[in-house]
Amino acid sequence: MHLTDDQLNEYLDNETTERSPIEAHLASCDECAARYSALKTLFAEIESLPDLALSSNLAARFTPTLNLNPQLPRWLTLTATLQTVLALIAIAFTAPSISRFLAPILQAYPMPSLNTVALDLQINFAMWTETVRSFQLPALPSGILTLPHGFSTLTLSVSVLGIFFIWILGNWWLLRKRPNSLA
Amino acid sequence: MTAPTDRDLIERSFAPRGAASGDAFGELVSRYQTSVFNVCYRLLHESGEAEDLAQETFMRAYDRLHTFDLEREFGPWIRRIAANLCLNYLEARKATAPLDEERDADESSRPEKQIEVKERSAQIRAALLSLPPQYRVVVELRHYQELSYDEIAQELNLPLSDVKSHLFRARKLLAEQLHASD
Repeated sequence: MHLTDDQLNEYLDNETTERSPIEAHLASCDECAARYSALKTLFAEIESLPDLALSSNLAARFTPTLNLNPQLPRWLTLTATLQTVLALIAIAFTAPSISRFLAPILQAYPMPSLNTVALDLQINFAMWTETVRSFQLPALPSGILTLPHGFSTLTLSVSVLGIFFIWILGNWWLLRKRPNSLA
Repeated sequence: MTAPTDRDLIERSFAPRGAASGDAFGELVSRYQTSVFNVCYRLLHESGEAEDLAQETFMRAYDRLHTFDLEREFGPWIRRIAANLCLNYLEARKATAPLDEERDADESSRPEKQIEVKERSAQIRAALLSLPPQYRVVVELRHYQELSYDEIAQELNLPLSDVKSHLFRARKLLAEQLHASD
């Protein structure tokens, strides 16, 4: 009884716990020993492939891509924050003086009261909702567009909406950002 | 001053995207680009595609760096990403490409020996190229990345029995191809 190919492969891969019986068989069977030797040579040949040199430096190609959005230096970030804080303090201190300065100008142009503004907004909103509620598409002359039997205007609306979403999704898919992809 | 370890560079690469993280990851790319390129080249046998896939491997690795376990080694991790990426690419392409001229990293040996080694290497690469993509990747992971059967099964999401049958059949086919060319 000879060793199977699986046994020889697992033995050479160090993936079997039954090493002693295999070794004993190899010592006594010339045919299996020859198959073992051929497989071992194949392993050596596969693993003898030399490493090839790269024709370009990938790191050089890669690093600029990562540096597209360089960070601001820390001192500059801190300066900008400090400037913002100082500006807010200055506004808080000068607000009373500025309001005194602007008072005569504002009196010359009376501002509507808050109630008036709220009422205007409410009226405009009511008019807008009424316009939307009573809106109707102009009726098409009969015979120009006849929907197929069993095809309601609701189905038509849902279909148009579906096509619109597919169009939006298609555009998103085409224009999505792909970082240096092979595709 | 000693060179930073891979772990140092990975931790620096975690920093918000900017010059410092780019430089740290760039250093990692410099360290592993040849081995990653060779994984891709053994699987694709076309240097332009292998370089593109090697670059894509590093882009993927950079995006997934937060999932990397710092207790593990970076080299085997990125080489496995490369092998998986190439397998997906091969399965999408389902076609073969002509073999490149060998450009060995070591060019210092005798010219006659070089020619002999190149010829045999070309035969081995041609034999590898003739294998189906799944077989080729299993050979790559076993012989070049030295993964166990269990690790290959986990990496490729295959049953252990499939890993064994792919590997043993691949070896049988390789032996037939190489003996035919002798």
